[in-house]
Amino acid sequence: MNIASATPLLRVEKLNKSYAKGIGGRHRTRILRDVSFELHRGQTLGLVGESGSGKSTTAACVMGLTAADSGLIEFDGVDLTTLSKAGMRRMRRRIQMVFQDPNGSLDPRFTVADLVEEPLIVHGVTDSAERSRRVSEVLDRVGISVKQAQRYPFAFSGGQRQRIAIARALVLNPDLVVLDEPVSALDVSIQAQVLNLLSELQDELGLTYLFIVHDLAVARLMSHDIAVMNAGEIVEAGTSADVFDNTTHPYTRALLDAVPGARRRAAQNRTVAQQRTTAALATAGTADAMEGM
Amino acid sequence: MQSNAPSLPVPRLTVDGGPDPERNDPVLSVRGLRTDFETAVGTVHAVRDVSFDLRKGQRLAIVGESGSGKSAMAMSLMGLVPPPGRVVGGSVRLNGKEIVGLDDAGISKVRGKDIGLVFQDPMAALDPLKTIGSQFVETIRVHQDVSVKAARKMAADLLGEVGVNDAARRLSDYPHQYSGGMRQRVLIAMAIANDPSVVVADEPTTALDVTTQAQVLDLLAKICDERGNALVMITHNLGIVEELCDSVNVMYAGRFVECTSTGALFASPGHPYSKALLDCVIDPATARRGALPAIPGSPPDLSVDEPGCPFAPRCPIGRDQERCAVERPQPRTLSNGAVVRCHFAYDPQGETA
Amino acid sequence: MTSTVLKRLGVALATIFGASIFTFVLLRKVPGDPARAIAGDTATEETIAALRKSMGLDDNLFVQYGNYMGSLLRGDFGFSYSTGNSVGTLLGQRLPATLELGLLSVIIAIVAAVLAASFAVYSRRRWPDQAVRFASSLAMGSPPFWIALLALMVFSIQLGIFPGPEGRLSPGMLKPPNVTGMFTVDSLLAGRWGTFANAAWHLLLPATIVALGPFAFLSRLYRNQLRGTLRETFVAVSQSHGLRRFPVYNRHVAPHGLLSLLPAASLLFADLLAGSLLVEKVFGWPGIGSMTADAIIQKDFAVVQAVLLLAAVLYVVVSLLADILMTAADPRTRVGAR
Repeated sequence: MNIASATPLLRVEKLNKSYAKGIGGRHRTRILRDVSFELHRGQTLGLVGESGSGKSTTAACVMGLTAADSGLIEFDGVDLTTLSKAGMRRMRRRIQMVFQDPNGSLDPRFTVADLVEEPLIVHGVTDSAERSRRVSEVLDRVGISVKQAQRYPFAFSGGQRQRIAIARALVLNPDLVVLDEPVSALDVSIQAQVLNLLSELQDELGLTYLFIVHDLAVARLMSHDIAVMNAGEIVEAGTSADVFDNTTHPYTRALLDAVPGARRRAAQNRTVAQQRTTAALATAGTADAMEGM
Repeated sequence: MQSNAPSLPVPRLTVDGGPDPERNDPVLSVRGLRTDFETAVGTVHAVRDVSFDLRKGQRLAIVGESGSGKSAMAMSLMGLVPPPGRVVGGSVRLNGKEIVGLDDAGISKVRGKDIGLVFQDPMAALDPLKTIGSQFVETIRVHQDVSVKAARKMAADLLGEVGVNDAARRLSDYPHQYSGGMRQRVLIAMAIANDPSVVVADEPTTALDVTTQAQVLDLLAKICDERGNALVMITHNLGIVEELCDSVNVMYAGRFVECTSTGALFASPGHPYSKALLDCVIDPATARRGALPAIPGSPPDLSVDEPGCPFAPRCPIGRDQERCAVERPQPRTLSNGAVVRCHFAYDPQGETA
Repeated sequence: MTSTVLKRLGVALATIFGASIFTFVLLRKVPGDPARAIAGDTATEETIAALRKSMGLDDNLFVQYGNYMGSLLRGDFGFSYSTGNSVGTLLGQRLPATLELGLLSVIIAIVAAVLAASFAVYSRRRWPDQAVRFASSLAMGSPPFWIALLALMVFSIQLGIFPGPEGRLSPGMLKPPNVTGMFTVDSLLAGRWGTFANAAWHLLLPATIVALGPFAFLSRLYRNQLRGTLRETFVAVSQSHGLRRFPVYNRHVAPHGLLSLLPAASLLFADLLAGSLLVEKVFGWPGIGSMTADAIIQKDFAVVQAVLLLAAVLYVVVSLLADILMTAADPRTRVGAR
């Protein structure tokens, strides 16, 4: 695209993975079929699909949490699939992940400050003054005060817990952050806060996001590029605007058409008159009821 | 999103040729409903003085975020508030019958028969040790005096009606042999098996994929059309409201803050919270990278009931208003018929009323 | 499912093999010389040395183990020096007494635990639940042999409603004709009601005491399982369909609780073995437990070894059966997804 992004930060090529099924593994279920994409520095790739599409497995492969059967995962020029355990551990520092359910990823027995500090200890930052400086810096950045950070995760709302999870991912100064449905467990009003935070962080810190998401609207809002996955395959890929405005694949079309509200708006012209009548009648009923309060 | 649709005239039933006898008596009438949860750290007032009427064939959305009290309200309608919660006040009348205060025998006659509930998570909503058939037959025979064989036939017909192929054979299957979407179809069929006049659907598609979600919504709409039962749709998704419901009650901190028609809500939301919610909705057709309007702060703690408006600390208007901090807004009607609890609601006829 | 069963079977065999090595080595490495114990305090060093040689105790461990396994496979469990009988004969005499005691204990423990926990959970009031939890803490915290002594003092010596530590039948009562070796069953088969009543009377107190530990464990497990299941969505769903509390409980809650008891069977069995060892001793019950207690004191290798191995085999078989039953009873493992 542009000159700066000539070499991608993450390049995935022909990733394949299948699971054995049944007795003796006679049948194999292919969950990734030749998955290939490139992700450039400072950009967001939205990996869109429904459950079972393979989007989360792709993320797990990139994180080194599961091994692919074949294919290449190249991060900053290094093939992750050939790295030793120790090599992968060093690389892990540069690739962090934020999960859907912040409750599951935050150990309730530790204070928030401890939780955010932990990755630094794990990755051998021995200077404790340096650690606490880094922790307060990153907590401040996600909007959690140092005083609040002495509390335990359960004392926080879902949105705040997701901020804490983001802080935990960012404390190591990663290059790539894999976001696995980071807002789908949150309310709409909170969702917007977290999405805004993620966008700001990306702009300020030059982060690169691999954004796993099922919500098309969120995908479009956040992503420079989109890859649509179905049954282990990328069926359509391109820039955000291309995929959404010039949809070519019927599956993408089906996904777009299924979004509640979008369908109604499409059909709105036809039924506008009828709707108004219904609405008028309905309001009358409700208004009567509330006056009785 | 704020379309330029004209604001609605003040609607009154009597205006257009007298009341429709079909719609006159509410099938569900809720007055002053209050539900509390006794917890170790204090009493959570989840539902605080909720009133509304639902008429035959009406499709009402209850919109709110988590912690707004919408699910506790849905459970209160069924007498199914899980302990340590309980209904502490108010009245719920179903087809004229009061159900608050009924004992197990009394409420069991109402559940499933007058009011059916569709739950959020279809994966957890069926007993994994029992076949679909046996659970379905059980559901039918609770309220209808029919043989097991006849009930099985009815079950197969209902499953066919909700779109399960080869229904008679699939009755012998166990829940884990069904996909999520299929399970939700089964649960919808079970909820309507005894022809309740009200169906409450509590976030019925939240746990489903988007394409499956669309199918389930279509199914709910079809069933309500064909059977004429009223629908209460509990949701946080405004897209679902727009698509499926004719009227909408927006809930915040255990109370309705706006009761209006769907058209009016989308055309000109009255309550600042409703407006903020609409602003947060991202439209895939127009979304661009950039800052989203967000509601600052987080939902209030429901264990305290402070005198002012609970939305005030997050409200673009109420933040700076002394009145919003000290005086609880009472319901009032705007020029488009919407009823809001707000001192400074946006009225379509003026800037703020 | 077949492959799962085969896999489990392999693991079971490996466990038994491991247990045989473990018990064998353990008993030969504990302090105390069995040859000295058998020969008695007055024996000369030469006699002891000769005895050690004849018992094969001077061979290296591998040879000893080889000999041991060889005879085991021929059905020879060795010779008990302290009683002068073959271990096989001893086991044949004593196993039925222990089985009878053990089976009744299991039945008492399961029935009592299920009833108590069901009542505690179903009543929804606080006191039944607290009572059951208190009872199970008490049962869990008290050593069975101490309870056995206490029970003897109260029920047989003070109150006289149960017999003293006189074994399986009153003195002078004739044994029923031997079919299963379990007196209650054999007397019923022979139609000797008096003998049956007497045998049951002797059985009840020790069986109840052995059942205490398993009861404590099972009642807690069952209670927790019931409470967990009550919170499941499908329970609320069946209530929403109009089912009343009892049918919901009966059809959708209890089966999940009962299913959860199956994997506990092997733990239950371990509890039972530990409990019966000293309780049998206190009640003079002529079973495996009292025999083992004696054999440990006498350093009678062959007996302890045979009992430990038997326990390991039974333990493995019980957990294997429980696993297979569990797989068969749960449709999620029995029937594949579509």
